[in-house]
Amino acid sequence: MHGLILRRRIGRGLVNLLIAGFALFPILWGLSSSLKPTERIVEFPPRLLPDEPTLEHYARIFQDDAAFYILNSGLVSAATVVLTLILGALGGYALARYDFRGRSLTMMATVAVMSIPIASLLVPTFTLISVLGLYDTRLGLVLLYTAYQLPAAIWMLYGYFMSLPVELENAARVDGCSPTRTLRKVVLPLSKPGLVAAALFILVFAWNDFVVAVTMTSSQEVRTFPVAIYFYLGFYGREWGPLLAASLVSIVPIIAVFVFLQRYFMSGLTGGGVKG
Amino acid sequence: MAAVSFEGVSKRYGEVVALDALDLEVREGEFVSLLGPSGSGKSTTLNLLAGLMDADAGVIRIGGRDVTALPPERRDIAMVFQNYALYPHLTVFENMAFPLEARKPKPAASAIRAKVEQVAGVLGIGMLLARYPKEISGGQQQRVALGRAMVRDPTVFLLDEPLSNLDARLRIRMRRDLKALHHAIGSTIVYVTHDQAEAMTLSSRIAVFDHGRLQQYATPAEIYDRPANVFVANFVGDRETNFLDGSLSAEGEELAFASALGRVPLGRPRGALDARGPLRLGVRPEAVGVLPDPDAPLRVTLAELSGADLFLTIRAADGLEVVARADPRATRVAEGDGVRLAFDPSRLHLFDAGTGVAIAHGT
Repeated sequence: MHGLILRRRIGRGLVNLLIAGFALFPILWGLSSSLKPTERIVEFPPRLLPDEPTLEHYARIFQDDAAFYILNSGLVSAATVVLTLILGALGGYALARYDFRGRSLTMMATVAVMSIPIASLLVPTFTLISVLGLYDTRLGLVLLYTAYQLPAAIWMLYGYFMSLPVELENAARVDGCSPTRTLRKVVLPLSKPGLVAAALFILVFAWNDFVVAVTMTSSQEVRTFPVAIYFYLGFYGREWGPLLAASLVSIVPIIAVFVFLQRYFMSGLTGGGVKG
Repeated sequence: MAAVSFEGVSKRYGEVVALDALDLEVREGEFVSLLGPSGSGKSTTLNLLAGLMDADAGVIRIGGRDVTALPPERRDIAMVFQNYALYPHLTVFENMAFPLEARKPKPAASAIRAKVEQVAGVLGIGMLLARYPKEISGGQQQRVALGRAMVRDPTVFLLDEPLSNLDARLRIRMRRDLKALHHAIGSTIVYVTHDQAEAMTLSSRIAVFDHGRLQQYATPAEIYDRPANVFVANFVGDRETNFLDGSLSAEGEELAFASALGRVPLGRPRGALDARGPLRLGVRPEAVGVLPDPDAPLRVTLAELSGADLFLTIRAADGLEVVARADPRATRVAEGDGVRLAFDPSRLHLFDAGTGVAIAHGT
């Protein structure tokens, strides 16, 4: 191989490694620390690798019902994803394909709503949720997450639908499909990459949310995993071991979903990779 | 009974009139082409017929049934799109079965399979059924699109420039196949094209559109030999028609046309010739005879040999140009030569120079 090319490749590899290391270091450090016995976690000088790795913190969090909280988070997240996708697809499709009175106003409102920080909505939504009797329920969380994520979902799916050739839908109509059957049989199957991208976006929000969940719930029965993790920063000091172990466990499902759906996700990000 | 009829149908986009009070009737089993340049209203007409657009005024009937307010799925029509619009996520078989699957009640799977295979056999695409659209050639995609339309046995076929994405040779072959197919299945076909050669060769009748108006609706021969106005005369034909402005000059029984090229004898054209205003004479290149004459003020400025024909562009001193079609084996004329022209009086067309409407034809 030519020396110059080799050198350039090595240089590029080093840069990539540097970026990856920068991004991954906190996670790897957390992983390493979660495998250390409690007294070794905060020792000084710190050790890069645990000299006697232990799974005691992982055992501990599952004794503390981590599985139940993960299940709670999973239920709430899955319901949010499904509900948001259904509503987002219908809304995005209507905006992309139908010309109705107030269409541009709806689009502008959709974009505008996305720029409101969730924290500023906490107090009014708390009141609303209480009045509706949905305080401290999974349903309340699902509805709130859906409300927060719906504008983004509509916007993403609107963009994706716009990139599909409209002739396919015209063909489906002429071929005897009602508008809903056209959506079901032609538009949605062709929008898989867009739907997957939107789903991941919603999932990450719902799975990771702490602020909304800690505000809108109180009992252990409906507690989600991020809130449960927070409880390790308790009254009696910080329990670094279980905290780190739980944090790492919480990353795993998201990574698994990403890996599983990666091929769709990538083409969804590059948008509209569909042949006419 | 008319298979399709438009009665006073109009369509506007904002201020632009896309289609102005169209009256058109297509008889059962006819192959009718909607011909015109882009923006002429031909595609609007087809989309209105398909139900992909709503008419602002008028009534559209298919098989005698008023379909003006019906959505596309309830009109019993089949359409072939310019870019074929094959469903990319479905195989060729699934694409062709799609209209049958959408039917209520849904036919039995075995019946669907039988129908798709029969149509695929007719079109010679039986071996492609398991492939996806992106895995087959443009010509094959074209046949699949046609097949998807045929499996339904619809009242009317709508074809929207179906050949325009094919290369020239394939287009001429598909043109013949399409004509043979029409003879074989005998269905009513409404065909949109901007290609006058396609319209001429395929159609029972041609509807020529321009600026949202139907200009003429007649058989190909009638359209060619007796164009209703300047636009039709110019648009239909392989080469543009030559136009000369002038006026009538009568000398006894013989009528003549006085123009910048001199006096053109008209013979005895049919139609009322009492018009005395400014006129426009239309003459197709093949009706122009070219005779060598070194003393004539007309010069050949361009000689284009297309193989079968020799097209000569002849220019008068004042810049007026006339194109003539000549037989390359019988014509001894080169660029720069002086020539005289002779127009075949039986193939001349006279138009009102103001309105463009035809006044008389040589035949």
